[in-house]
Amino acid sequence: MSSFFDRRSFLRGMLRRGTAVCVALPVLDQFLNGNGVAYADGAKIPVRFGTYFWGLGLTDTPTGGTRWVPSKSGPGYEIMPELESLKPVKDKVSVFSGFRAIGDGRPNLVHWSGHASILSGVAPGVSGRFDGPSFDTKIADAIGTSTRFKVIDIDASMSRQPVSYSTPTGVTFAMPETTPLALYARLFGAGFQDPNSDNWQPDPSIMLRQSVLSAVKDQRQALMSGVGKSDQIKLDQYFTSVREMENQLAIQLEKPEKREACAVPTAPKDVPHNASVDSVRANTKAMAKLLALGLACNQTRVFNFVHTAGISEAYIAGESKIYHQITHDEPTDAKLGYQPETSMLAGLVMQAFGDFLVELDGIKEGEGTLLDNSLIMAFSDTGYAKIHSIENIPMFLAGKAGGRHKAGQHVHATGESVTRVSLTAQQLIGAPVGEFGTGSMRTARPITEVIA
Amino acid sequence: MKRYLIATIVTATSLALLGSAAAQRPSSSVKWTKTYVVEWNEPAMYYGAKTGVIDPGTDCPNGTNPSPDWIKVLVDAGYTLEEAKWLRNPANPTRSPVHGQNQMAFRGKDRANVYVNPTSVADPGLAPVSGTIAEGIDLDGDESTGFTSPTGEKGIDNNFYKALGCWKTYRGPHRLSSGALNFNDAMRDGAWTTVIVVAGEGPDPMNDDNVKVGFYMSKDKMVKDGVGNIARDYTFRIAPHAKYEGIFPARTSNGRILSTAPADVMLRDPSYTQDLEMLRARVDLEMKPDGSLTGYVGGYRPWEPVYKGWVNARGTVIEVLTWVQLPAVYYALQRNADYSPTGPGGEKTHISFALRIDALPAFVMSPDGNNEVASVESYKAIAPKQTDKPMYPFLVVDGIVPDPTSKVQAGPNAVILPPSANSASQLR
Amino acid sequence: MAGLAAVGALTLVGGFALVTSSAAQTPPPKPSDGLTTKVALRRVTETQYRHTIADVFGPEIKISARFEPEQRVDMLLAIGSAQLSLTSSGFEQYFALATSISDQVVSEKQRTTSVPCKPADPAGADDACARRFLTAYGERLFRRPLTESEVLARLRTAAAGAKQSGDFYAGLKLSLTSLLLAPEFLFRVETAEPDPANPQEFRLDAYTKASRLSFLLWDSAPDQELLAAARSGAIHTQDGLTKQLNRMISSPRFEDGARAFFTDMLQLDGFENLVKDPTIYPKFNQTVSDSAKEQTLRTTVDLLVDKRRDYRDLFTSNETFINRPLASVYQIPFASSGDWAPYTFPLSSERSGILTEVAFLSLFAHPGSSSPTRRGIKVREIFTCQVTPDPPADVDFSKVQASTTGTVRERLLNHMGTAGCASCHRPIDPLGLALEHFDGLGQLRTMENGAAIDVNAELGSVKFEGAQGLGQYLHDNPRVPACLVRNVFAYGVGRKPDAQDADYLRGQATAFANDGYRFPDLVVQIASSPQFFKVAVPNGAERTSLAAAATAPLKTSKTSEGANP
Repeated sequence: MSSFFDRRSFLRGMLRRGTAVCVALPVLDQFLNGNGVAYADGAKIPVRFGTYFWGLGLTDTPTGGTRWVPSKSGPGYEIMPELESLKPVKDKVSVFSGFRAIGDGRPNLVHWSGHASILSGVAPGVSGRFDGPSFDTKIADAIGTSTRFKVIDIDASMSRQPVSYSTPTGVTFAMPETTPLALYARLFGAGFQDPNSDNWQPDPSIMLRQSVLSAVKDQRQALMSGVGKSDQIKLDQYFTSVREMENQLAIQLEKPEKREACAVPTAPKDVPHNASVDSVRANTKAMAKLLALGLACNQTRVFNFVHTAGISEAYIAGESKIYHQITHDEPTDAKLGYQPETSMLAGLVMQAFGDFLVELDGIKEGEGTLLDNSLIMAFSDTGYAKIHSIENIPMFLAGKAGGRHKAGQHVHATGESVTRVSLTAQQLIGAPVGEFGTGSMRTARPITEVIA
Repeated sequence: MKRYLIATIVTATSLALLGSAAAQRPSSSVKWTKTYVVEWNEPAMYYGAKTGVIDPGTDCPNGTNPSPDWIKVLVDAGYTLEEAKWLRNPANPTRSPVHGQNQMAFRGKDRANVYVNPTSVADPGLAPVSGTIAEGIDLDGDESTGFTSPTGEKGIDNNFYKALGCWKTYRGPHRLSSGALNFNDAMRDGAWTTVIVVAGEGPDPMNDDNVKVGFYMSKDKMVKDGVGNIARDYTFRIAPHAKYEGIFPARTSNGRILSTAPADVMLRDPSYTQDLEMLRARVDLEMKPDGSLTGYVGGYRPWEPVYKGWVNARGTVIEVLTWVQLPAVYYALQRNADYSPTGPGGEKTHISFALRIDALPAFVMSPDGNNEVASVESYKAIAPKQTDKPMYPFLVVDGIVPDPTSKVQAGPNAVILPPSANSASQLR
Repeated sequence: MAGLAAVGALTLVGGFALVTSSAAQTPPPKPSDGLTTKVALRRVTETQYRHTIADVFGPEIKISARFEPEQRVDMLLAIGSAQLSLTSSGFEQYFALATSISDQVVSEKQRTTSVPCKPADPAGADDACARRFLTAYGERLFRRPLTESEVLARLRTAAAGAKQSGDFYAGLKLSLTSLLLAPEFLFRVETAEPDPANPQEFRLDAYTKASRLSFLLWDSAPDQELLAAARSGAIHTQDGLTKQLNRMISSPRFEDGARAFFTDMLQLDGFENLVKDPTIYPKFNQTVSDSAKEQTLRTTVDLLVDKRRDYRDLFTSNETFINRPLASVYQIPFASSGDWAPYTFPLSSERSGILTEVAFLSLFAHPGSSSPTRRGIKVREIFTCQVTPDPPADVDFSKVQASTTGTVRERLLNHMGTAGCASCHRPIDPLGLALEHFDGLGQLRTMENGAAIDVNAELGSVKFEGAQGLGQYLHDNPRVPACLVRNVFAYGVGRKPDAQDADYLRGQATAFANDGYRFPDLVVQIASSPQFFKVAVPNGAERTSLAAAATAPLKTSKTSEGANP
C-alpha cells in the first residue's frame, strides 16, 4: 500500500534537512478523504502536481470588457470566449479571478513580478531572480522522491533561452526539456525501466555509479569550510543535486511497481523550430502527450510546464508583429471595449492549455483518468497585458487531485493575494503547509470552497 | 585583401584566367548579365480541366488515361486467365515488392520482351491529347502547324505533348504531375543543378538586340529556404560539362527573351533519360519584375531515347505506377514524331518538345569560383571526361531487374504456375 | 508511515533558512589567523569545459551533452557564472557526460597512451598505478594538486569498482568519473591565502591566479607550464607573471580566449535558439544562424588579434569573412571554393563594421521585423556599458498611434515626444533608427510600406546618418573603449566592478588609448596589474586552517614563516 508520503520519501526528505529523524505514527491518510482512489490491487494511485505557465495573461480591461472572467461565481461557470478550449474538461477546472500580486513598495517588474509572486510568495527585487524558492520545489521535495525523477521541467515555447520558473534558491532556475525528442529521451530513453515489464533485473552498473557519488560526497566537509555564505548556497544546491541523483539510482535498484495506465510510447518526430503560435501549440501538445505517459509510468510525480515565457515572442506566422508587441500597440476597440487581436491571440494560447489538459484526461487510470489524479496550477504573469497589470492575474486549478479538489467552480475575490491560490494548491496536494507568502501576500486562508 | 566588386562590366581578362581553350569569341562588349538557377523544370504541357490533376478536360476529354486492366492485357497476350491472375497476385514469390513482376515483360509475339521489342505487340493505343492549346515554342516558324498557346500565340510545336499529354506521368497543372514532382524533388534535393546566364551588349537589358543565353551545369547544390522553396541569391560555380551546355543567340523585347536563330544543344533532362538533345532549339523566356525568370526552352528531341529511358527505369514498375503499357508510348511517340535531321524525306527520329522552366536569381561564377561570369561562353573544351553514373544501385537488363537467386526466371519459356497442387488455392 | 507534522511544516516552509542560519554568524576572516578562505565559486562554462577536456585528454574525446543555461548579470555571462549553481537535471547531464568521457579515456584503444602505468593484476585493484593516474589527471582537472584525502577518496572508488567488476580499468573509469563530477572541477574555486609580503592582507593563491590567467587568455584550464609556474610560486612574481602572459598571448590559443570573451561581451550566446518567422525571412535557417555568429567572431578576432588593429575600427571597417549561406543573405556572390572567404563590403552597401553584420542585426530584432528600440538598447549596453532601465509597468501605449502604414520611425518619434517615455527613448531609439536600412534578418532594404526609410539620427547635439554614421559616432565616443576595458576586467575577475575599481579602470582606459587601442595589449595590461588579482573577501566566509587544506606536494607553511616558495 503506498500513499503520498511513504516512509521512504519521508525519511529522505527529513534527512536532507539534517534535522532529527522523528518518525511519528499516524498514516497520512488524514490528508486523503474517503474519495481517495485506489488501484485494482488496493495500492493508492499517487496524486501528481504540476504548474502550467503561459505569458501575456488574458483579456480583461479596466474599462469593462472581460473575455475570461465568468459572470457567476460558484459551480457551473459559463464558458467565456477565451476559455472555449476548456469546455471538454470544464468540470475538472476551477477558475480564480480577481487575485493580484502585491508589491509592498517594490516596483512591478514587467513580465516577472506577477508569477514570481505566485510561485515564491514575495514580490521580487530584481528581474530574473526570485526572492525565495518557488513552492513547486517544496512539493517536489515532499512527494517527488519515490520516483526516478523528482521533477520534470518542460518549456514548449521555443524561445531563445530555455525558460523555467522553478528554483530552489531564487537564483538558479531549472533546465527544462525544450523539444519532444529531448523529453522522450529523458523519460523513456537510457535508464528507463518499464514498470510493467516482467523481466526486470537490477542493473549492477547502478551500484558502481553510486560509488562514484560517494567519493564526491566524502569531500563535502573539506569543500564547505572556508566558503562564504552565497557560495555555500551554491554548493548546497550542488550537493542536493548529488543526493537527488543518488535517490534516482536507489530507486532504479528497486523493482518498480506496476502501473496499469502506463504505455511506453515510441520516439516522437520533432516539430520545426519556430515560435509561431501554431508551432508552439503543436509542440505543447506533443510534449503534453509524452508528459502524460511519463506520469502514468511513474517516472515523476511533479512537473513544471511553460507554454510561453512571460515576454512571449509568439507570433502569427507571416505577421511582422509579435504577440507581446500587439498587447501594447493595439488600441482598445471603442465598441467592444477590449483589444480584438490581442483577445484572439489569448484564445489561441488557451487552446494549447486545453490541448494539454485533454492529453492528461485521455489516459485512463483507476476509475477515472490521469487528470482526475492530478492537480495543475495554471497561471500567467499578468492580468491586463497592455499595462503589465498584476491585478486580476488569471489562475486555474485543473484536475481533481484524487478527489480532493471540488473542481468546476469559479471563485472571484477582488484584490486578494494570489498566494491564496498557491496556498490552496499546496494544501490540495496534501502538503502540510499552514501559510504561504511574505508581507501583504502572507496568507493562512486557503480557498476552502474548492477543498473537499 | 581582395576587393570584390559587384560590377557588371568585366573585361576579357577574366576569361584569360580560364585558359585560352575556353573562349570561343571573347566578348568585350557585354554590358549586362543576369544570372539564375533553375528551381523547377518540367515538359511543357497544358492542363485543360478546372480542378484536380487527372480530371477530364479540354485536353483529355476522358481524363488522364486510366490504369490498364493488367489481367486483360496478359490474357490478350496469350496467357491463361489462371496464369494472368497468378502473375498479378502480389503474394506470389516471383513478384518482387520493389521491382514488380518481371514476367510482365514477356507479352509480345512468341513471348517477346515488349520493353525492348515494343513492336512485337500491337499498339495498345495511348489516347492522345485532343485539345488545341499547348505551352511550348514555335519551332518551325510556321503558324499553321501546331497548337495555340494559352496566351493566344499560334504555331506552338509540341508533339511530345500531343502524344503523351494524357499520360499520368505528364498530365496535370504546373508542378503537380507525378513525373514533374518526382524529378524536381530529386533535383531540388541536390541531384543536379542547372544555371542560366543571360548577357547582352546593349544599355537596356529589357530591350536588347544582342543577347546570348547560356545553360550550364553546376555541382553546387540548391538550398531550400524556411518555407520549402529554393532560396534566392545563392552562388553557383559553373561546372564545365562535356555534354550538357546550351548557348542561344537571342534578343530581348520588354523583358521577353526570344531566340534569333536556332541552336543544337544538349541539356539535362528532368527524367530517367537524362540526355536532352534538342535540334533547332530556341528559348522563349521572360525576365519578371521580381527578378525571376520563367519560360520555355524547346527543340526537336530524339524520341526513342525517351522511350528507352522509361524502359531502363524498370518497365514493370513504370507501367504499374504510371498507368501505361509502355509499347503504347513507343507507338505514340513514333506516330507523332515530326522532324527528321536528314531532311524532309528522312526518317522522323525527332519530336517537337519544350521544357518549361522557372528560375530564381542566383550568382553564377566561373568554374574556378573566383569571378562572376560576365558573358555567355562555352566551357566544353575544358570539361572533364564524363562518365555516366549508373541510375540505380541495381542492374536493369532489358527493362527488368533479374533476380539470380530466384528459382523461377522470367522469360519467354518460363513456367508460370507452380507445379504443386496447392497453387490452386492461391488463385482464390 | 509518518505525518509530516509540526516539524515538517517548519522544514518545508522555513527549511531554506535552516541551512544558512549557521553561516550568518561567522565574522569575516582575518589574514592574521593564518587561514585560507574561498573567495569565489565560478561555474565552468560550456566552452571552458570542452577546451579543458580537449587539453587534458586530447581532441578525439567526443563530448555530447546539454549544458546548463548561463545567466547574464551586469552585461556579462562571466559575472552570472559566479552566481549560478547546478540543478538536478544539469547534474544528470554532467553525470552522463563524465561517464562517457571516462569510458573514452580508459577505453582499450586509449589506455595505452592515457594510463601511465600497468596494473599488477588487470583483474583487480592496484592503488599505486591508480594513484599515478589520479594525481596526474586530478591536478589538471582540479587545476591544483589533489589533497591526500581527495586522492584517498578516489582510490577507494577505484578499488571498490575494480573488485566489483573484476577489472582494474573499470575501477579507474569510476574514479575518473568522480573527478569529473566533483565541484572542484565543475566550479572554479578561487582561494585566498595570507600574503607573506603583507601579513595583514590576503592574496589569491598561486593556482587561483593561474586559473584566472588561463581562463581569460585561453578559455581553458592551466596547462602544465602554467601549473609549474604556480607550483614554484613564480607566478607571484612580476617577472614570472609577465613571462607566462607573454607566452600565452603570443600563442594561437589566445584566439580561443578572444572568441570566448567576445561571445560573452557581444551577447552572441543568443544564437542557439534564435527564431525567425520563415514566411517573412525564408532565407533564415540554422546554418545561416551558425554562420552569422561565426562571421562576427572571425571578423573580430582577425581585426583585433591577428592584425592587432585599433579596436575602434570594429565599427567602421568593412573587411569581413563570409560563407555561401551568408552570401545569399547579403545578396553578394561567394567567390571561393573553400568554406569561408574574406570579403570587403563596398561603401554603397551601407554596411559599417560589426554593427551591420547579420549577427547583431538579427539577434536584436523580432522574429518578423527589425526593432530599432531593441538594437538601440543593445548598442548602448554592449558598446558603451550603459544599461537601460525597464520600462514603467503601467505605461499606456494607447496614446501612441498604432500604425500599419509608414515606417517604424514615425511610431518611435512619438515615444520620444511623449513625457513618460522620452527620458529613456531619446538616448536609445536614434541608435536603432540609424540601422533601419537593415531588416530583422540583416538584409538591406531602403523602403518600408512604400515609403523611403529615413535613417537620420539625433543624439543630443550629435547628428549622424545611417549605419556608417553610427559606426563613426561609436568610433569617436570615448565611452566605447572604456566599456571594453571594463568588460575585460569584469570578465577576468568574474564580478561587477565597484567604486574602488573606478580609478583603476580609468587609468587602464587611458593606457589603452595611448597604446593605440590594441586588444591583446589591453589584456596583458590588465592581467599583469595587481588589481586583477585583488582579493575581495565575501561576507561570512568561514576560515580554513592551512594545514587542513594542505595540498600534497606544496610546502604547507604558515604565514609566520614568511615562506615564499
